Amino acid sequence: MAIAQTGTMTQTEKRKGSTAAFQDFRLWWLVIPAFLVFLVFFVIPTASLFGLAFNKSVAGVIALNSQITFDNFVRIFTRASYYESILRSIWISAIVGAACLFFGYPLAYVIAKTVKPSRATLLMILVLSSMQLDMVIRMYGLMVLLGDNGLINGFLLRVGAITTPLPLMYNVFGVIVGLVQITLPFMVLSLIGIIKAIHPSLEEAARSLGASRWHAFVTIVLPLSMPGILAGTLLVFALSISSYVVPALMGGWKVMVLPIHIYQQIAEVGRWQFGAAIAVVLFVTSIAAVAIYHQAAVRTSGGRT
Amino acid sequence: MREESAIPIAFKGISLLSLAILLVPVFIVVLAGLNSGDYLTFPPEGLSLRWIQAFLTSPVFLSAYGVSFMIALVSTLISTVIGTMAAIYLTRSQSRTSSILRGFFMLPIVLPGVVLGLALYVFYVTTGIGLARTMPGLIIGHVIVTCPFVIATVTAALVGFDRSLEEAARSLGASPFTAFRLVTLKIIGPAISAGTIFAFIVSFGQFEVTLFLSTPNLQTLPIAMYVSMRYQFEPTAAAAGIFAIALVILSTVLTSRLVNLKRTFGG
Repeated sequence: MAIAQTGTMTQTEKRKGSTAAFQDFRLWWLVIPAFLVFLVFFVIPTASLFGLAFNKSVAGVIALNSQITFDNFVRIFTRASYYESILRSIWISAIVGAACLFFGYPLAYVIAKTVKPSRATLLMILVLSSMQLDMVIRMYGLMVLLGDNGLINGFLLRVGAITTPLPLMYNVFGVIVGLVQITLPFMVLSLIGIIKAIHPSLEEAARSLGASRWHAFVTIVLPLSMPGILAGTLLVFALSISSYVVPALMGGWKVMVLPIHIYQQIAEVGRWQFGAAIAVVLFVTSIAAVAIYHQAAVRTSGGRT
Repeated sequence: MREESAIPIAFKGISLLSLAILLVPVFIVVLAGLNSGDYLTFPPEGLSLRWIQAFLTSPVFLSAYGVSFMIALVSTLISTVIGTMAAIYLTRSQSRTSSILRGFFMLPIVLPGVVLGLALYVFYVTTGIGLARTMPGLIIGHVIVTCPFVIATVTAALVGFDRSLEEAARSLGASPFTAFRLVTLKIIGPAISAGTIFAFIVSFGQFEVTLFLSTPNLQTLPIAMYVSMRYQFEPTAAAAGIFAIALVILSTVLTSRLVNLKRTFGG
């Protein structure tokens, strides 16, 4: 096999090179439909929305004009209610990222290390199917569970453990629980492949050299799974900071985060330009946080990720 | 078995907790939808089909289910076709443009759904192209969100695909198109169907992009449930949820069957 391959190497390589160049030229049309759809319905709308953010805010008027002003951004960064929301959005998403890592890593590890194929598949299906169900349905379940007369409070009241319902929902705690429920599968899926790719013999070698199971895990497996941890946390952070439905339902419009402000400005006050400006801030915050985290992670892991 | 027992006990414990976080809410929705009381309380009052019946006779939820299904179907079809085509180009072309394009097509996942929905709505309204508050306008929004998933799954399958198989077919006299159809498409077929079902489910459960694009007479199921939960919180929404859960289970079973069948036939 190897000999046959080397024998025909030059010829195949030559042909591959020429067909690749040839097909490059011929295949470009395949990408045109998707590209056009994205250009017209993604790039242009997003760009004009970002442009709108630099227009003077007039209630009820949407038209884009060429008069540039930074008033909307000045307002966002000088009014406590807005910049506090930015900070709140960031720290809630950071906590969700950490919580998902705590709950997601062990599950991903178990799935990756389960030898019996049927059991591993079953676990995968459980994770995947929970992710596929739409968020509003899952939030319904959480609301029935966590509400003032929900199942948990109902149980605790009946047992006599508490006399007044615990505030589990319509606050930051509820929002965090909701976001963890939504984003946990993304963390697990980001980690499974990476953990599977770590060869068991590396861990076994460490064990045979006298490392305890825990020590082998911390010094071998954990550092090698850094790319997955990084990818998963970033994904969870980005999903959390941009979620509207979870803060709306689990926070009961009391936990003000950026997506809630955007919707309020537009649907309730009709100030499109100001809403657009908050959207820009949300997008930039999310990208900046991801970039900073990525930089920090690259530095601490010695540029390996 | 030996390796399984090597999993630390703490990890097993936390895994069970994680699975509970993932699955308990779903289980509760089913209970709430089959509950006989007005609200699922502890202890539960008993089972009945009254909320299922309420869903089946509710014009709001039934039409929302239909709208969601329709939008998911059409947008999935469109994104599967254009996404698969794009994925083929992206994996076959070695030029710098293709790697830039690959990143470009993933952008809608990074852009918050609220921002994308708002951008599209502003675009529809300001340009006056007649897409504001219409079904096609909604479908376009869903295509933008679902297409990256198709492109990602199909690209992943094509990257691992051994081009020499296609070359073998070519050297045996097949035309480029026949070789592609009989060899490549057969092999990446499962990935395409997985991408399709993924796209369908993403579209069916899509909330944030839809938020600005739907109207009271063009509500998708998630929006209808959200409205019901915001204003009255009645178990009809949970019953509607049961039907959505059934759809997801059906599609999951379908995917695994589809992929397995293909594998059996291929191997």
